[in-house]
Amino acid sequence: VTWLRGLFGRRRRDAELAEEMEAHLEEKIDALMEGGLSRADATAAAHRQFGNVLLLRERSREVWQWPSLESFLMDLRYAARQLLRRPGLSAVLLLTLGVGIGANATIYSWTRAILLDPLPGAGEPERVVAVESVTPSGEWVPVSYPDFRDLSERSKRLQSMTVAYSMGLAVGEEPAIRVPGELVSGEYFDVLRVQPELGRFFSEAERDHAQNRHAVVVISHALWADRFQSDPAAIGRTLRINRCPFTVIGVTPAAFHGSMPGLELRLWVPATMFSQLNSAGTWMLEDRKTRMFRVLGRLAPAARIPQARAELQSIASALAEAYPDTSKGMSANVLPVWQAHNGLHDSLREPLGMLSGVALVVLLIVCANMASLLLARATDRRRELSLRHALGAARPRLVRQLLTEAAFLAVAGAALGLLVAISLSGTLRFLVPMTTMTLVTPRADWGVLAFTVALAVAVTLLAGIAPALAGAREDANDSLKEGGRSGSASAGRQRLRATLVAAEMALALTAIVAAGLFLKSFRQLARVEPGFDPEKVALGQFSMAASGFDAAQADAFCRRLRERLEEQPSVVAVSYADYVPLSIGAGSWEDLQVEGYLPGPSENMKIYRSIVAPGYFELMKIPLLAGRDFDLNDDSAHAPAMIVNQEFVRRFFGGQYAIGRKVHGWGRWFQVVGVVRDSKVYRLGDRPKAYFYIPLRQVYRPEFALTFYVRTSGSTDEAVASLRRLAGESRAAPPLFNTRTLSESIGASLFRDRTAAMLLSLLAAIAFLLAAIGLYGVMAYSVAQRTGEIGIRVALGARPGDVVRLVLRQAARVLAAGLAAGLLGGALLGRGVAAMLFSVRPDDPSVYAAAAGCAALIALAATIVPAARALRVDPIRALRCE
Amino acid sequence: MNRDKQRGLFPGALELMILRTLIRRPLHGYALVQQIKSASDDMLQIEEGSLYPALQRLLKDGFVSSEWGVSSTNRRVRTYRLTPAGRKHLVQESSRFELMLAAITRVMAGSTP
Repeated sequence: VTWLRGLFGRRRRDAELAEEMEAHLEEKIDALMEGGLSRADATAAAHRQFGNVLLLRERSREVWQWPSLESFLMDLRYAARQLLRRPGLSAVLLLTLGVGIGANATIYSWTRAILLDPLPGAGEPERVVAVESVTPSGEWVPVSYPDFRDLSERSKRLQSMTVAYSMGLAVGEEPAIRVPGELVSGEYFDVLRVQPELGRFFSEAERDHAQNRHAVVVISHALWADRFQSDPAAIGRTLRINRCPFTVIGVTPAAFHGSMPGLELRLWVPATMFSQLNSAGTWMLEDRKTRMFRVLGRLAPAARIPQARAELQSIASALAEAYPDTSKGMSANVLPVWQAHNGLHDSLREPLGMLSGVALVVLLIVCANMASLLLARATDRRRELSLRHALGAARPRLVRQLLTEAAFLAVAGAALGLLVAISLSGTLRFLVPMTTMTLVTPRADWGVLAFTVALAVAVTLLAGIAPALAGAREDANDSLKEGGRSGSASAGRQRLRATLVAAEMALALTAIVAAGLFLKSFRQLARVEPGFDPEKVALGQFSMAASGFDAAQADAFCRRLRERLEEQPSVVAVSYADYVPLSIGAGSWEDLQVEGYLPGPSENMKIYRSIVAPGYFELMKIPLLAGRDFDLNDDSAHAPAMIVNQEFVRRFFGGQYAIGRKVHGWGRWFQVVGVVRDSKVYRLGDRPKAYFYIPLRQVYRPEFALTFYVRTSGSTDEAVASLRRLAGESRAAPPLFNTRTLSESIGASLFRDRTAAMLLSLLAAIAFLLAAIGLYGVMAYSVAQRTGEIGIRVALGARPGDVVRLVLRQAARVLAAGLAAGLLGGALLGRGVAAMLFSVRPDDPSVYAAAAGCAALIALAATIVPAARALRVDPIRALRCE
Repeated sequence: MNRDKQRGLFPGALELMILRTLIRRPLHGYALVQQIKSASDDMLQIEEGSLYPALQRLLKDGFVSSEWGVSSTNRRVRTYRLTPAGRKHLVQESSRFELMLAAITRVMAGSTP
């Protein structure tokens, strides 16, 4: 309070002082003039005797200044001077701090954009939850539209609920651009609590469940800027989406980018427009089994997730009883958005957690380095410190001063780290292959700044407190009595330093073990054969729905395009399917019944499938083991046919002859006509799974995506070009997007593992390097401290080997402890990440051996060099420098 | 540091003299300087203005109080008055000062041939 009053009183006090001094001068001048001086002379004399008025006023002001601020500035100046005295060392320390803090801040900015702040622009986002359906076997699945309607009508704990179905939409006339958007309920913007920047969101009238009535669209700020040059007159204009005219009714604020964490969506249309946009039947929103919607809800005031979960589970079980045909055994779950099972954040959650952990390890090593350096410095300065204490500096004052040094470093390092984070946070996009959606660019914002500041404080305390206390505790008597002898440091301090070295060793080893496990896992994974040949295959995806094709038109288009492509000299084979194996995201599944097979009580009979055209297996080089491939006769006029994989045969037919067996799905019975070898479908790391294929002409609907596969003997670029050119020949060709090669597409499926392995290795290398620097620093310092002792030993006849042994022995015990702790830490960590590893046991001995070997090597190098240097010391000089 | 050098006095001496001078009656700045100067027979070469930071320090420590009034020459001036705390401080510091002075005198006397 005093300083507050001081702050306000300052101006008044200064004015009074000025007035007072002025009066003084005038009185003096009067007195001097009475003594016979002229006014000019008197004025000059008065000023001369008074002194510098401004300086005196300044000094009077200082009297009232906040003393701790002043002394803090003094500490700061002092700290800067101390650091500048050893510029090389300080620079290394600063750089490592920058790297340590920068790595943490960068990874935090990613984590924030994808997990911690998954719904920017939404109001009270922490009250938004994800609702999921759960199959009898406990698997997560999306929610069907009728289920959503029932859940949202009956739930009290969730005050509003919305569906969200994200898909790429073709926007505009030819050439249409592909815009990622969402099909949502009228309540969508209520759930997310977003207010329109312009226009309005869905009205009451637009919130009914009548299909294909409300052709209205809300566009994002970015799309408004791109498409309408931010013209306010955009409201009311018509936008063609998948060729259907939609009226623009509103614009979202710039910060908002939809309900998919980490992805930028740009337009929102009512989910009731689903069938028109996808040229699909209206039954899709009426079928309780068509589970394809993500559902979000807003918790009612005072409701919590567990209550909402319990409520939705009871509603879901009531539904399961009411509709046993479609929902037997189904349940529901409520989760925080960042834990939801759909989208980018789901596949990045574990790698990001892992990376944050290792980045933290790096920072801890940096702290250990800093602490041991500050400790060494405090030891060097102990005479100074004890003298100052003897002269009356209070201990807290000394602690504060030593802490200021740590803070100075930490803040400078944090500034550097922030720069690193700002320049690197956008690099997330290089790690995530985004083919169909746009990734949100993580930014170093206020949250990241706050995080960095918190890190700086943590670093200051972690690295600064022990050396500061040790420095200030110095007993004046002891250190002054030593008479300036720079002999060995106190036992307590040596113990502290040894602990730091051991901790550093342990941390680095833990990081290396983690990186080693992931690297090995990635190598194993990259070596897995996918079961098909991805080389020289070009892919191109068509959006049939966008061109308004029905199934027959789509079929005609595909057959025509296939014929034209096959005429090209370099084209070896052409086929098409609704799914690309090993692309991100699982494909579709169907509830199957298998003739003669009785599923277990909770057995999951939802089997993943592809819808393929004839020639698919030959093109992919997936061997047909029995029966035949599909042909053009497998159409709606003929008996439904199915091809299954080996695992399907093993699981459902007991490995017996499969051809001719019957399987039920889509409301009819299919006959198995062929068996193909197992191949990887979802992830390379998957074990073989039952999988089946059905002919496009029997099941295909235009709302399914459709990808053309072109195997070429020439370049894949050329194949993509001819795909584009030949597709363009046809009238009303559907938009082609997402062209790539099959190899690229597979690479994308490895991204999670590659990203984890790459970044972890990088961080582990940094950790390793930092630990080596720290270790070297400490060893070099402790040998240097013993220069005198070594000199005496050499003078008394110690041989070089003896001296090296002496130094090594001292190091060995500490390092052994560090190694043991590190291996233990690695083992604990390995157990924690076992689920993320592919065909690597978390206790893989080769990884641990290699990591320990690396660490021992560095330790040896860090010890030998100072020892060798100590040997070169001339005994006379060593003793004299005492 | 450098403020004491300019003053040509040891730290705290000016404050002590101010307190001592104010013991008889309240004074304003100019009068205070004249008193100190004449009491020391003009032997102390002090900048008159250096009185003011010293007065601010005393005000802050509560050893003097001040109030605005009109001087005999009809000027608006601030008059300083010794507070009880100031009086106590003066007594303590005076005895310390005397002890120190005695010690210095003794040493100086010893070193002169």
